[in-house]
Amino acid sequence: MTVAPRSPKADLWVCWWLFPLFYTLFGVIFVVLTRVMPPPRPGVSVEQINEFFDQHETTIKIGFGMLMVFIGLASVTNALVAVQMKRMSVKPVFAYAYITTLAVGAVPGCLFAAFAFVAAVFRPDRDPELVALLYDIGLLTFVGSLGCFTTNYLVLAIAILLDENEIFPRWVAYITFWQIATELLAGPVFVFQKGAFAWNGAISFWEGTLIFGVFLACLIVVLRRAIEQQPVDESVQA
Amino acid sequence: MRLNVQSLSLWLAALFGAVMLVAFVAFPGFFPPMSPEDSAPEVAAFYAGNTTMIRASMVVFNLCAVMLVPFFMVIVYQMKRMATPTQVLAYGYLSAVASGITLFAIADLFWLIAAFRPERDPEQIQLLNDLAWITFIAPVGMIVAQNLCLAAAVYLDARPEPIFPRWVGHLSIAVGLAMVPSAAASAVRTGPLAWDGAISFWLRNGAYAAFMVVMFFVLRRAIAQEAAEEGAAAPEAAVLADVGP
Repeated sequence: MTVAPRSPKADLWVCWWLFPLFYTLFGVIFVVLTRVMPPPRPGVSVEQINEFFDQHETTIKIGFGMLMVFIGLASVTNALVAVQMKRMSVKPVFAYAYITTLAVGAVPGCLFAAFAFVAAVFRPDRDPELVALLYDIGLLTFVGSLGCFTTNYLVLAIAILLDENEIFPRWVAYITFWQIATELLAGPVFVFQKGAFAWNGAISFWEGTLIFGVFLACLIVVLRRAIEQQPVDESVQA
Repeated sequence: MRLNVQSLSLWLAALFGAVMLVAFVAFPGFFPPMSPEDSAPEVAAFYAGNTTMIRASMVVFNLCAVMLVPFFMVIVYQMKRMATPTQVLAYGYLSAVASGITLFAIADLFWLIAAFRPERDPEQIQLLNDLAWITFIAPVGMIVAQNLCLAAAVYLDARPEPIFPRWVGHLSIAVGLAMVPSAAASAVRTGPLAWDGAISFWLRNGAYAAFMVVMFFVLRRAIAQEAAEEGAAAPEAAVLADVGP
């Protein structure tokens, strides 16, 4: 299929393809390269933290160097979901809230981990205590930026439930409510250094990440369906 | 010319952009840019020796940077007027502006915190200085996304008389791509890609500043064109507006 310029829905389809691309890159960066996922343990000594950074210095630099560019894709994925929310029968208030919450969340919830980790490996001779501080800043902001995402999931779920145009199936709302639950269960990361509720714990990290993966896959599928079903000449509320 | 919020937004950006240019020149760490190779005692000595000018210039940055948001929102509004299939690119641009300007606001806070207690442990001042520079230079993704969204929208705009001329799309992509190498400033400390390098500092900041100047004139033309279209569509309304208080 050739995508001629000005073809109907060209912008939607480009943005849709960027969605799985962004989260694939996200996985490569956070899981394979920078080792933020699954997170290293919180309850470790300053020496162990410095060893962690020594060991992964090169891949942290490559991975977070990539993130500095590819984080921009997050704004396109925000917009794609918001545009579908604007097609719903509810007022666009929640669509705007969707964009805003994730535009905020990208900074503490994603880039701060990158700033902390690149600063930790920027100078091999940095004071080990400061490196340990950066470890905590990076991992707590990454796992613990709760409110941005909780609010984001809440407005998405409610919009889907109230929508009469059936842009997204209702079951997506129920999965989105599970996402809210995972954010609430991540609250204790600020307290515990070990166990299920620590930032690398079975509940705070593994359960949350598993549900996030399911949620993301579903969102990508229903977005595709929504774009396919979208009339070409549809007028959407401003 | 009647003052409307769009023109006002452009002039706010021109005014505060000019003020920021003065602050840029006044900041003792930009001419030449501080080297990432400076030792902790050297960085601490820089903050101790230039405390007043660092604080003054960065307070100005802090006050003025976010003043550019209305300018970017004129771009969003004009993108929404384009005859694109949907408004997804305009909202992508908006989202990227919100995240990107936040990074700018955080960078100058790190500089100001570093300058707050020059007697602080030099290792700590060096870390704050590193965080300021890395946050300022490296996270270019939001600007890249803005420019690619803008370019795609320009190309897809099917109006007989497009909102922006096609070359704005080409320029927007070129400037967006010129930002990309600066991401490496988060990892390297020497050469053109370091935060003080020819590419990461001069090309990145120079190209984006030049792009904003060009967009100022492009937007002025788009606003005038919009007013002309509205005037043609509703002449009596335009006449009433002109004689209003």
